[in-house]
Amino acid sequence: MKHGSPNLSKVSVLFRDYAGTPKAFDEVVGAEGVRVAYGSVLRQLAKLDGDEVRARAEYLKSTYLDQGVTFDIGGEERPFPLDIVPRVLLADEWAEVEAGVAQRVRALEAFLADVYGEGRVFRDGVIPRKVIVTSPHYHRVMAGVRPPNGVRCHVAGIDLVRDEVGRFRVLEDNVRVPSGVSYVMTNRRAMFSALPEVTSRHRIRPVEGYPLHLLAALRAAAPSGVSDPTVVVLTPGVYNSAYFEHALLARMMGVELVEGRDLLCHNGRVSIRTTQGLKPVHVIYRRVDDEFLDPAQFRSDSMLGCAGLITAARAGNVTLANAIGNGVADDKLVYTYIPDLIRYYLAEEPLLASVDTWRLEEPAHREEVLDRLAELVLKPVDGSGGKGIVIGPRATKRQLDALRARIIKDPRGWIAQPVVQLSTVPTMIDGKMAPRHVDLRPFAVNSGDEVYVLPGGLTRVALPEGELIVNSSQGGGSKDTWVLARDGVRGKRRRRRPREVVEGVPLGELGEEKVQQQQAQQQQQTRTGGAPC
Amino acid sequence: MGRQLRIVHRTGYRYHGLISASHNEARMTPRATREQYVLATRLEITPVAWSHSFIDYWGTPVTAFEIAEPHGRLDVVATSTVDVGDRLSVGSGISWDDLRDPRLCDQQVEYLGITEHVDPGGELRRIAQDAAKKANRPVDAVQTIIRRILDRVEYVPGSTEVSTRATAVWEARAGVCQDLVHLGLGALRSVGIPTRYVSGYVMPNADPVVGQPTTGESHAWLQFWDGAWVGLDPTNNTAPGDTHVEVGVGRDYFDVTPLKGVYSGSQSSDLFVEVEMTVLA
Amino acid sequence: MLSRIAESLFWIGRYLERAENTTRIVEVHLQLLLDDPSVDQDDAAHSLLAVMGAAPVEVADTSEVLRALCYDTASACSIAAALGGAREAARRARETVSIEMWEAINTTWNSVKGARLQRMRPASAFRHVRERCAVISGTADQTMSHDEGWHFLTLGRSLERVDMTARLISTAHLTSGTQSAWNNVLRGCGAHHAFVRTYGGVTTDKDAAEFLLLDRLFPRSVVHSLQSAESSLADLALAGGRRVGFDDEAQRLLGTARAALEYRAPGRMLEDLPQRMTDLQRTCNLVSEAVTTRYFTGATAATWSGGN
Repeated sequence: MKHGSPNLSKVSVLFRDYAGTPKAFDEVVGAEGVRVAYGSVLRQLAKLDGDEVRARAEYLKSTYLDQGVTFDIGGEERPFPLDIVPRVLLADEWAEVEAGVAQRVRALEAFLADVYGEGRVFRDGVIPRKVIVTSPHYHRVMAGVRPPNGVRCHVAGIDLVRDEVGRFRVLEDNVRVPSGVSYVMTNRRAMFSALPEVTSRHRIRPVEGYPLHLLAALRAAAPSGVSDPTVVVLTPGVYNSAYFEHALLARMMGVELVEGRDLLCHNGRVSIRTTQGLKPVHVIYRRVDDEFLDPAQFRSDSMLGCAGLITAARAGNVTLANAIGNGVADDKLVYTYIPDLIRYYLAEEPLLASVDTWRLEEPAHREEVLDRLAELVLKPVDGSGGKGIVIGPRATKRQLDALRARIIKDPRGWIAQPVVQLSTVPTMIDGKMAPRHVDLRPFAVNSGDEVYVLPGGLTRVALPEGELIVNSSQGGGSKDTWVLARDGVRGKRRRRRPREVVEGVPLGELGEEKVQQQQAQQQQQTRTGGAPC
Repeated sequence: MGRQLRIVHRTGYRYHGLISASHNEARMTPRATREQYVLATRLEITPVAWSHSFIDYWGTPVTAFEIAEPHGRLDVVATSTVDVGDRLSVGSGISWDDLRDPRLCDQQVEYLGITEHVDPGGELRRIAQDAAKKANRPVDAVQTIIRRILDRVEYVPGSTEVSTRATAVWEARAGVCQDLVHLGLGALRSVGIPTRYVSGYVMPNADPVVGQPTTGESHAWLQFWDGAWVGLDPTNNTAPGDTHVEVGVGRDYFDVTPLKGVYSGSQSSDLFVEVEMTVLA
Repeated sequence: MLSRIAESLFWIGRYLERAENTTRIVEVHLQLLLDDPSVDQDDAAHSLLAVMGAAPVEVADTSEVLRALCYDTASACSIAAALGGAREAARRARETVSIEMWEAINTTWNSVKGARLQRMRPASAFRHVRERCAVISGTADQTMSHDEGWHFLTLGRSLERVDMTARLISTAHLTSGTQSAWNNVLRGCGAHHAFVRTYGGVTTDKDAAEFLLLDRLFPRSVVHSLQSAESSLADLALAGGRRVGFDDEAQRLLGTARAALEYRAPGRMLEDLPQRMTDLQRTCNLVSEAVTTRYFTGATAATWSGGN
């Protein structure tokens, strides 16, 4: 691949005034000009004028509204925001991410098996027992319950960011019910129709194979002795913000999308209620949180689950994916131990770096953090989706004082990290390109035999200027994430095989002409026959 | 000296109206320990139920069962035969420093945590702290603290409900065995002594006649860590002996509830309990 | 298929048909006011609202008719509410209905929601709604497998059509005697052309009623719709493995209703017409309940007491 043009203004009018941000790593422009990954994208975009690109961006919005690719904010349905500029990763960059994510998933699996099994990791002093047993996501009802093929994290979403030098770092793990993968697929389809000129010139690793990988992993997790398992997707219902995703996955896997009330536990087995009576179910890809899954075990007021599920799972008659109790592994406090856990379980060095983190339960750490509160990021241990995060440099004195009091009261509840300047990618804001911070959530599917990492993943964009918290539930945007194959740009290559020729048969038609011909013939006949006998 | 005991534990619910389905867990069969050999157990459930048995996180044998037919009454009868040996009544007398060992603390972290139900409240915490300061060894503090609880709180059957919290019991000065244990757990844990809740049965008569069924009790006591788990029955202020039968241990009552579950179709229910114990040999 | 999904499809069918027929009924009403100056506007509005089962109001006029039957999503019998209901039901069954059908329903809803319907002239609004309904039902026929789900959709559609045509006939009867009332009704359900072709130019009220009630070929006639509902039920019973007998309550109700219409003496066609139309609407409700009991029950969540 050729080096990109060093001068942005030659590339496209839209990018004329674009310059990254001073502190962060910009993925498109560096000190030497346009980076390799984006050279071709920008060249192709330059062939369209500014208004055309803006029109295409509008098109993205309207097609999402028509297709119902939406999410709920406070009860209102909005189109999922997708930016017109893709995010591009080179094959080598991706290879590093892919291996790192798979490694992390393997370590998390081993850790969960151990925590709900014999607890070697505590005896060997790698992580204190206290960290686990004080986690609200540690579900003792799952102790000793071994899933059929040993897999607990059928689907994992590992959130990554790129730091000031462009190096990938893990921000957090999600092994409960990670969401967003549907947008990876719809974003790709939308971009192919919105920017065919650009997409057709690149070899982008496809993403639509995801549902098949997921289905294969779910089938592999079926209870033993079930050769042709019935898989269902369990959704909390249409009012859930990720309902669109649940429906899309069910449809693409060709399985039923069920709500809790469609399920019935009977004799330790789970069935769905159909118009022809009860039909057994073997694997439930559940998108309902642990606490709502089984009113007999957790919240008895839950209307989203089905009483008896856990007993059925314990009896080995149904598999829940992901497993209940996975939340102990993606706790932010456990996060700080993951590099050690990778070394302990896999005897490997971590391939992806983490973000430096202080554990506030350790008095020395706590003291240091409380001194430097104004320059750090403080995160609640079991918040997800950017909830409750305090960014020191942006907080007022009052907020910091309140935070200080909360930390002192509940040190187990918080971790602290330095402010990481997430990398930026140009994003269309009010018709112009501006740098915006992004993260990346690659999705991994564990079938027990291998960990498949979907090429790319969901790039989320923090839309407000300078914002560092990237989350769709806080009004974030997204980008289509392209992982280029080794020869990422399509050239004009010669066709190797001769084109197969298909014989064409003409289409049938009513044929106005035939009618006219007949009428004309008749006239002729009349004429010729006009001679008297 | 050991004894062979037979326990028949009858419990269940009378529902107000018919209920359409229920899912339950019974923790009504004795667990196997070094001092307690379980010869036979049987659990009968009426109406007929699908059931699945397992050992839970705390080591208690559990039978989970579900009833899918409409019913107005649930009956569970657990019959067990157990050989009970001499129980440990004295520990090794470990020191305060031994208790502060980080490895021990981490290992016993769950038996040191103060859950909402066992929180002893300010007054009892101060009493416990004071006792701990004056005691040479943890075991001495245990004796003092339990005595102080018994001085204040009287054993009054039926005075509380299962969900009554320890602080409320302290204020009301009256409670049942479970409440005395909860107070003990909270107070001992507040001074760093690992303590756990024990659910089980006890013969009311210390000198029973062989072969004669007597009315026993579903009972609770506690165990504290003194180099090993040492039993202490605050209700009778004794060490549990060969008339006590252990069913399970946990952080508090809610880890070892004898019968719990959910039901659909009715608003309320009445629980009934009956325990019959017989010395066989 | 899942009971809950089957129920959604059934209701998609009903809601869409309801939206479409309501445009027809309201249009007939507006046309009548134009055609016949002797009609008392407020009286006509009152009776129309009553026939459609709208919440009773003090003052009824044309704008109230438009509000209650067309625009107000809070009014259960409005077109907007019906389209919203169809869309909500489709959203629940989203992975079962075809993508194209979902998009057809969704874009329809997007085109009427947020008072967009009000902003069109009534005539264009009605045409728009009818065209969208035609697009949706065409898309359903062409892109959904004609399996169980489709049968539930058709069943809902046919049943609602019986109900709505009965209401339409009721409104015609209310204003009959006035010139052109029946003609209007026939136009309203797109039947005028078919009617004239069948009966010729010189016709009576009786002919018109007969056509709307009994014509075996015209797809909006009551008998045709009853038959189509019956055949959906028969297909469903067959899918469930039943091949003999009529143990199905819904089928029995529909068959009885159809026989009562078909075997009525020709001379008594107009007798008791309003009462019979009301009975027919009641039958539709009973059928809907019977279908629910047989195919959809259990699709409600259990509530649990006790627990931790």
